[in-house]
Amino acid sequence: MLVSATVERMAISRERQRLGYLIGGCLAVLEAIVLLSPDLDAAHAKGPMNTGHETVQCEQCHQRAPGTTRQQIQANVNHLLGTREQPADFGFKAVSNADCLACHDRPDDRHPVFRFLEPRFADARKNIGAHQCVGCHAEHNGVRVSNNGEFCQQCHASMEEDGDALHRPLVQAQDWESCLRCHDFHGNYVKEAPNDINNAATARQVDAYLSGGTSPYGTERHFKARRTRP
Amino acid sequence: MSKPTFILSALALTCLAIYLFVTAPPPIEDPDQVGSGPRIPVAEALTILNAENARVRSIYTRDIVGAGLKVGLKFDEDWKDDAVQAGPLPALFLRETSLRLERRPVPLGLFLGSKYPIASANQFAGDQATAFTKMESDGKPAYFYSKDTKRHTAMFADRAAVQACVTCHNEHPDSPKSDWALHDIMGATTWTLPSDSVSHSQMLELIDALRGSVAEAYGSYLNKAAQFPHPPAIGESWPAQGYALPTQEVFMARVKRDCDEGTLEALLAQRQTSPSVSPETAEARP
Repeated sequence: MLVSATVERMAISRERQRLGYLIGGCLAVLEAIVLLSPDLDAAHAKGPMNTGHETVQCEQCHQRAPGTTRQQIQANVNHLLGTREQPADFGFKAVSNADCLACHDRPDDRHPVFRFLEPRFADARKNIGAHQCVGCHAEHNGVRVSNNGEFCQQCHASMEEDGDALHRPLVQAQDWESCLRCHDFHGNYVKEAPNDINNAATARQVDAYLSGGTSPYGTERHFKARRTRP
Repeated sequence: MSKPTFILSALALTCLAIYLFVTAPPPIEDPDQVGSGPRIPVAEALTILNAENARVRSIYTRDIVGAGLKVGLKFDEDWKDDAVQAGPLPALFLRETSLRLERRPVPLGLFLGSKYPIASANQFAGDQATAFTKMESDGKPAYFYSKDTKRHTAMFADRAAVQACVTCHNEHPDSPKSDWALHDIMGATTWTLPSDSVSHSQMLELIDALRGSVAEAYGSYLNKAAQFPHPPAIGESWPAQGYALPTQEVFMARVKRDCDEGTLEALLAQRQTSPSVSPETAEARP
């Protein structure tokens, strides 16, 4: 009786073990599919892709770092030992402006990101990271602009005194929201800025656009981003 | 630590050291230490580049803008607007060069600013304002390290080279200063570079990037000029010879002619004064 019960328990235990292996194996296969299938990139991304990037594949921005794993370890150990000036990226390169500009670079950007590397823009760099595309366009947030829209005042506050008659009253009233009602930040839309704030887009339209909605500046653009990096 | 653990740990560390250093493949290139041989200090490197840029500006200001105005060519701050039939003013030609330069793979920055700019967004602040105040009195270049961007910075006086600069800035309604005189220090060009020194091969890359950017900037003006309702003849002739503009090749040949000798002399002088750095010691540089 006792032997029979023991044998039965062992059989149940083996059955559970097999079931455990089966479930573990299935989960491993499922995980491999999710991680390796380009169609399922969104399933393991940090968050939803920003507006216009919905079909961008991970490797378009997350590029492999140069060298083998061994070379990368070697370089970083050398850096820690003080025999190498710069550390090396490990696995993947840090996403930088160059990755954004691979698709979005154009010759006539009104606010090219690298301009903010000039020393005098220290406050803009500190406050909003103006020298990095991700300062305003942090990826995986499902929006077009990820900061709170407080960028114009970083550099144009002096217009309170030296601005022209059209702009001075707006700056004096600290109406920074009004800037984007007339001007698109990168100057990429063909539509001319109106000469009267009453003919401008509404603040709500601008907010909707920054959140990923339709453009208040029309649809015609000077430059269209590349669909994949060259 | 027990004896066996110590032996095992020592063996593991030895194997790791052999794996990482003795049998390891060639190291990944250190971006700050590309190239071997004598190195040029960043201040000298930026001085050489500024001298090239100053010669380019002189050619553009005198022989394109100055001579062009006399034969009917127009130059305007809004030259990029479709409705404006004009080319870039000298300061905007530098801005165009700077835009092209920043899009190249070399991490070289070029900017133009002033204490009294026509566009308030070009007003110096912080370290640049401090350096410019000193420059106004002694006219000497300023060098400092920008901590937040980790870039070495050099500023060079930008003087009113021709009367047209003085007249335009004095008469412009947005100019905060209207008593400029010829040869006044109106502003400064600012150059930035991350490394504290460059190899000669890197220096040549920087010069090549600057000249390439100048060529592109001039090319963008030619593209605009070709769309004028009454376009100038684009060929071998310069504005001094009539309503004409030199081609990009002719313009750059002049740039090359005016820059080559000075740049070569500066490079050779650096070769004689720079400490020689072997590839081994370059790798070991802290």
